[in-house]
Amino acid sequence: MRRETKAPAELIVLGIESSCDETAAGVVRVRPADGPRGEILANVVASQTELHAPFGGVVPEIAARAHAERLEPVTREALNVAGIALEEVDLIAVTAGPGLIGGVLSGVMFAKGLVAATGKPLVGVNHLAGHALTVRLASPTPFPYLLLLVSGGHCQFLAVRGPRDFLRLGGTIDDAPGEAFDKVARLVGLPQPGGPHVERVARRGDAARFAFPRPLLDRDDAHLSFSGLKTAVLRARDRLLAEQGGLTRQDQADLAASFQAAVRDVLAEKSRRALALFEERLGRRPSRFAVAGGVAANESLRAALEEVAARAQIPFDAPPLPLCTDNGAMIAWAGAEWYLDGRQDDPTLAARPRWPLDETSPALLGAGRKGAKA
Amino acid sequence: MDHHSTRSGPILAFDTSGPWLSAALVEKGVVRLARHEEMARGQAERLFVLLEEMLREAGRAWGELAALGVGIGPGNFTGIRIAVAAARGLSLALGIPAHGVSRFEALAESAPRPALLALDARRERLWLARLGADGPEEPVLVPLAEIERHPVLEGLPATAPVIGERAGEIAARIDRPARAPALTLGTAIARIAARRDPAGATPPAPLYLRPADAAPPSEPPVPILDA
Repeated sequence: MRRETKAPAELIVLGIESSCDETAAGVVRVRPADGPRGEILANVVASQTELHAPFGGVVPEIAARAHAERLEPVTREALNVAGIALEEVDLIAVTAGPGLIGGVLSGVMFAKGLVAATGKPLVGVNHLAGHALTVRLASPTPFPYLLLLVSGGHCQFLAVRGPRDFLRLGGTIDDAPGEAFDKVARLVGLPQPGGPHVERVARRGDAARFAFPRPLLDRDDAHLSFSGLKTAVLRARDRLLAEQGGLTRQDQADLAASFQAAVRDVLAEKSRRALALFEERLGRRPSRFAVAGGVAANESLRAALEEVAARAQIPFDAPPLPLCTDNGAMIAWAGAEWYLDGRQDDPTLAARPRWPLDETSPALLGAGRKGAKA
Repeated sequence: MDHHSTRSGPILAFDTSGPWLSAALVEKGVVRLARHEEMARGQAERLFVLLEEMLREAGRAWGELAALGVGIGPGNFTGIRIAVAAARGLSLALGIPAHGVSRFEALAESAPRPALLALDARRERLWLARLGADGPEEPVLVPLAEIERHPVLEGLPATAPVIGERAGEIAARIDRPARAPALTLGTAIARIAARRDPAGATPPAPLYLRPADAAPPSEPPVPILDA
């Protein structure tokens, strides 16, 4: 739905997120006149990590059950922390996809309940737009900029041209790096979620001990692949298991370090190509090279990306960690950006398990009958 | 909820626990409006449109409601969550209680007692609950093929009817009468919610009756030699 809008002086926005394994609500005060600028009043996240840990990955039905019961207390807490009554909220934003449908649907229905009762405007936000636009919540960032979104479920390079104008320059053709970190943690006997544990033991590992592949570097584009890399780690581990009957702590560290180095090299090289593609497709340089998503928390990867930006003489930006992982403030912020851009939804708003940000570029994965996943 | 005001006013109830959208508005003990739409999909998109149509028709506003009733299942997991999440959003924003009502309680509303309440649990199994003088007992999961010999039937009079899903089939197997529920699901839930104590309402939660389908990883743990 499109709506003619006159920008108000200030918007208090409630944002609700439940598309994966975090139930989250945030409250953001937005001043449209200054750029716009946002101030986070509350950002409450109820993580489900412990519920899923025994299963070695996120179980959709467990996630859906937790979201359905946690949305209300988490929202209540966010309003309390912000010191804002629901009546004072000007806009309600909710993740409407892409993601695990059970969680997204619970969030959307909960938000529609709030909206019906209060008469506030509703915006159904694309979760990926939330990540992509959060760069602008953290610090003033003019369009267009290059964004690497890298998380447990996603990996893509986006030219962000406006609040609802994204051009995908490349992305993974199979797994996301976050998924690969989790898998490698399981393979070498480290706990879940894998990212922080692999990074921790990699610090005392020898990254040169295993020569893991750097997939797709033979291709000139900005597409990535991590599935073959996972298999290579599996093979190396199985060889060690066959020879020794187990892994030493040094083996664990060396496997982790060698794997992380491969991911780092691929992300860095593909970032260089994405920067070149950006200039080629948009005819200008990006205002920033920004990285968002949970994997951006990895210091080694972050440092490599920062170096790519420095060499290209483009400012680098990564939002603070609590804004990189799934949260409600980013949905509130993206909701405000979409609302100010003329977007508003009605009570028929549907949850979309698949919702690519760039609906024009051909799908990279999951391009079945139902269309591209993300 | 801790401090809901006890207002007098209409009670709105809804249920999406199966391929339908069932809703009713009860006021002063009288059913003002009842809607029951069969629909295999699209309940999430239709729910609030229907509820607003009903309020308009009754000449009522959201802010006038005294309480909500919501179907918590058992039934379709996604369907139950649609209704429960919507009810919790409304309850938070309106500051009124939302009463969760199970499908067994709804079937028991205005049913003769004793009776046998039945819900389809899929894969040729049923959830069966005895309805006694004090309401429905704990449901048990019974394969259709074993129903004749099941302990849930012990002492159930020959005149006690079977009410609910696949009632005709079950009744034929156990030689008892079958009876259709007297009320739509929405109406039954609204009437039950209207009798509940608003002060004692706890936030509604889905009634799954089955744990989530999840298996721990099949791979054996990696032996760490120098752990």
